[in-house]
Amino acid sequence: MTDPFSIDLLTNYLLVGAALFALGMLGFVSRRNLIVMFLSAEMMLQGVGLSLVAFGRFHGNWTGQVFTIVILTVAACEASIAMALIVVLYNRKESLDVTLWQEVREEGVGPTDLVDEATQAAPLEHEDGIETYPTLTPAGLEPAHPIQPWTERRR
Amino acid sequence: MTDDATFTLATLGVLSGAIGTYLLLPHRRGRAKARTLYVAGGLFAALGLLGFLLLLTPPALSPLGELVSGAFFYVFAAGALGCGVMTVTSRNPVYSALWFAGTVIATAGLFLLADAQFLAAGTVIVYAGAIVVTFLFVIMLAQMEGKAVYDRAARTPGRAVFTSFLLLWSLAYCLVGLSGSYRPDAAGPEAAAEDRLHPGRELGPHFFQEATGAGVRVVLDKALRPTSSLFAEDRGDSDAAILKPNVAGLGEALYADHLVTVELAGSLLFAALIAAVLIADPRPTRKRGETA
Repeated sequence: MTDPFSIDLLTNYLLVGAALFALGMLGFVSRRNLIVMFLSAEMMLQGVGLSLVAFGRFHGNWTGQVFTIVILTVAACEASIAMALIVVLYNRKESLDVTLWQEVREEGVGPTDLVDEATQAAPLEHEDGIETYPTLTPAGLEPAHPIQPWTERRR
Repeated sequence: MTDDATFTLATLGVLSGAIGTYLLLPHRRGRAKARTLYVAGGLFAALGLLGFLLLLTPPALSPLGELVSGAFFYVFAAGALGCGVMTVTSRNPVYSALWFAGTVIATAGLFLLADAQFLAAGTVIVYAGAIVVTFLFVIMLAQMEGKAVYDRAARTPGRAVFTSFLLLWSLAYCLVGLSGSYRPDAAGPEAAAEDRLHPGRELGPHFFQEATGAGVRVVLDKALRPTSSLFAEDRGDSDAAILKPNVAGLGEALYADHLVTVELAGSLLFAALIAAVLIADPRPTRKRGETA
């Protein structure tokens, strides 16, 4: 038996797929931006597809790859619908925050306390640290612009 | 590797990965974190990634090709996981999308190593080419001025990290630490049929002699058709099985064995197209008979 794809290699692929799945789940649960949540869901699909391809290679048939193609199709559909949905939701609330949509939660589930700060979502407090944008130094007097020949030709 | 060493390694790697990811995630209330915290988080996450990579079975050293493909496996696995962590923890959604493109490309490399060339190309084209560009487009369309609160604040980061890394730990332990699912001790065709992790392509030649009932034969005939095999000649467990050309074999399997699947995927795409057009329509919906 000299097939290079041994069961150890299959285990390696399954481990990486499991790690991708767990990371995607972490992002889906913990991030509040709708777009990042959907990116995390796509990452979970990547992990599952990796496991399927490895299983198909190990067992020597095409089924894993065929199913991964189906996953690819479903991911494309999901992305298109999600993008449409995100655009609509953004137009309603002017925000991509998922905690603003807590009124569509299940009956009998309490809201999280994040909703209070989320409603007063006031961004752009300037803090010194890693999270602020760099600013340019303010410009002085505007110099006189000599008219170049190439700008004259444009007029 | 012994079971104890594997257990310790998996626990330590996953634990430091969890600590690092927690430090890298945004603060719960959206406060800024100190730079040292980020450095410590990156350090812990790198340690966790190292521990996770040590968990993988290293490749054989003797043929050079195998060693090179094993090394590339490590490179692509580390790239996929590192880019995945950065996708999840980036404050800026644009950076998240770009790191996700990195994850997709690394996964395409892993597909290549698993002899799925068409899927590697298709993944790069569909994901990195189409989906990520669409995401970026929507991010540009719906971007807040500056950095929004919801990008700087995570939702229950501690519990989320605990849950997902517990899942990862248990999966890794089941895959590596335990000796798999039920494996029978004795070798032979009977044991091979019982063994869940026996390669499916080796079952056929053993089984066709053993199978007595007509029903079993029909089922096996359906399951082990020549178009469904990844190899050019189904010689069972004989040496040096040659792979079919990828696109030709995949197309053959797709249109001979899975034709209904292809049709279903096409109609699914069509339905999604209609749904996207309907959802994103900016005009307000009017009831029938109502005039504008």
